[in-house]
Amino acid sequence: MAEASTTARRHLLPRDVRLVVHQVRYEQLAFWLNRVGAIFTVVFSVLFLVMLGGSAGQSRIRWLGNIKLIVYYVPGFVAYGIMSACFTTLAINLVVRRETGQLKRLRLSPLPARVLLAAIFVSTTIVSLVQVVLLLVIGRFGYAVRLPGSWTAFALVLLVGIVSFSAMGVAISTVIPNQETAGPVTSIIFFVLLFLAGLWFPLGKHSGLAKFSNYFPVIHLIKAMDAPFEFQPGVSPWAWHDLLIIALWGAGSVLVALRKFKWSPRRS
Amino acid sequence: MSTISVSNLRKSYKDVAAVDDVSFDVEHGEVFALLGPNGAGKTTCIEILEGFLPRDGGEVQVLGVDPGQRGQQQWLRTRIGVVLQELAVESFFTVRQVLERNAGFFPSPRPIDDVIALVGLTEKADAKVKKLSGGQQRRLDIGLGIIGRPELLFLDEPTTGLDPGARRTTWELIRTLSGEGTTVLLSSHYMDEVEALAKRVAVLRRGQVVATGPPASLGGRDRGQVSIRFTLPAGVAASDLPFTPTRVDATAVEINTNDEVVVLNEITNWALQRKVTLTGLDVTRKTLEDVYLALTHEEFDNAKGATNG
Repeated sequence: MAEASTTARRHLLPRDVRLVVHQVRYEQLAFWLNRVGAIFTVVFSVLFLVMLGGSAGQSRIRWLGNIKLIVYYVPGFVAYGIMSACFTTLAINLVVRRETGQLKRLRLSPLPARVLLAAIFVSTTIVSLVQVVLLLVIGRFGYAVRLPGSWTAFALVLLVGIVSFSAMGVAISTVIPNQETAGPVTSIIFFVLLFLAGLWFPLGKHSGLAKFSNYFPVIHLIKAMDAPFEFQPGVSPWAWHDLLIIALWGAGSVLVALRKFKWSPRRS
Repeated sequence: MSTISVSNLRKSYKDVAAVDDVSFDVEHGEVFALLGPNGAGKTTCIEILEGFLPRDGGEVQVLGVDPGQRGQQQWLRTRIGVVLQELAVESFFTVRQVLERNAGFFPSPRPIDDVIALVGLTEKADAKVKKLSGGQQRRLDIGLGIIGRPELLFLDEPTTGLDPGARRTTWELIRTLSGEGTTVLLSSHYMDEVEALAKRVAVLRRGQVVATGPPASLGGRDRGQVSIRFTLPAGVAASDLPFTPTRVDATAVEINTNDEVVVLNEITNWALQRKVTLTGLDVTRKTLEDVYLALTHEEFDNAKGATNG
């Protein structure tokens, strides 16, 4: 109780919130200190945009209101950045921590599980938002791409995207058996879906690939992210259909995660 | 009241009994060891006591509460320290950063610098975890286990995979902690470790306790048979000896007895009178290893099928 008087200021926040803040600091530190991970996530999305922006030049997409290709790329890579942070990076992070016993050890510390999971989610959100800001700034000032017309719609896509893809990241981590396969498995799934979603080359709406790709959430996040940027006049910034499909994948992933999440290494 | 009290504990994985009717008590302030080969059920026991695994049956009390009750687990976790078999420390942090992070989980942690000094990592305080040797990582791991001033520390095979020097420094650390009044539950498959550290030991085999007691008297080794060996003197037949030897091979004679003082007296008197020398005269009590191997013998036939834990 002596503690209460000396640290009254800290007690303005509930204990759980203080613990989340504490743990987020170290989640962030771990993320940025792991240079390879940070490069794969943040630097890749920025680098992709810069390289593709350079090679796109003055190319335009005729069937999409004749917009410049780079205009198409900015929301696409914002979506990429979110998916890479929430799905790939989060899944690998969880598998490595689970298999090395770090998760088990945290489970056996007084840090409540809800606090740890909240901190991991907040940290993933921070990494996502850092990329979003970088990509928007590069798009706006590097390639004169217009910023989202509806910031509210944009924020909603970010929210649904970050929450749902984080859930998918947790869900996929539960089926990956060991740390050696975590990187390859998540990357292959992710890049195949990205390709099918037409991130690099816009796909015709009625192509077989696009139809197949429609069953998966990746293309929908890209489309949902396109909407607030309002490529063409008169198009709604609210891509409700795409958001719904993403949210369904997210909800399904939450169910898988709740059933299958493990704290201890698989091999033991 | 005992710090840990376990009675008739049971836990099965599918149809295999990992812990089968185990009972033991750990008193306040003692170092208690669970000794047994891989797959004997040591880790399962420890994980049930930590509240990590649910049990199938039996009674368990740790620091006065039932670790199987969800409502008690948070309370328990601020009062226990846990060191796993795995060196589960984030490799990108420095020693100080990892300790600071974990200190934040506890209501009144030990000062970081005290912990660093206690585990002998003062010079490495700002080094990255991945740059530490295996022994240093293990000491940091133990540092994480004690940062919250635990009343009870669980050490699951703390020196497995360490070189002899690192084992010794880890032992010293465990002795220091024990000296400060921390109760320690240790698991190990090393006899020397248990002998060096533990006040009492429970030997596990296939999920069952096959012996309990201080290492020095385990399996009756303080009272039981002593074996006296020497080389049969030239020109003496085994039948000339004042005792019937238990075993005689090419040159050596072995007498197993519970009455070593009497036997030695007669043997040496006989040798002096006959003016023969007893070359290589040797008196040995069973080592803890002999006792352990005898107790856990069957396990070796099945070692290949045994799983870790």
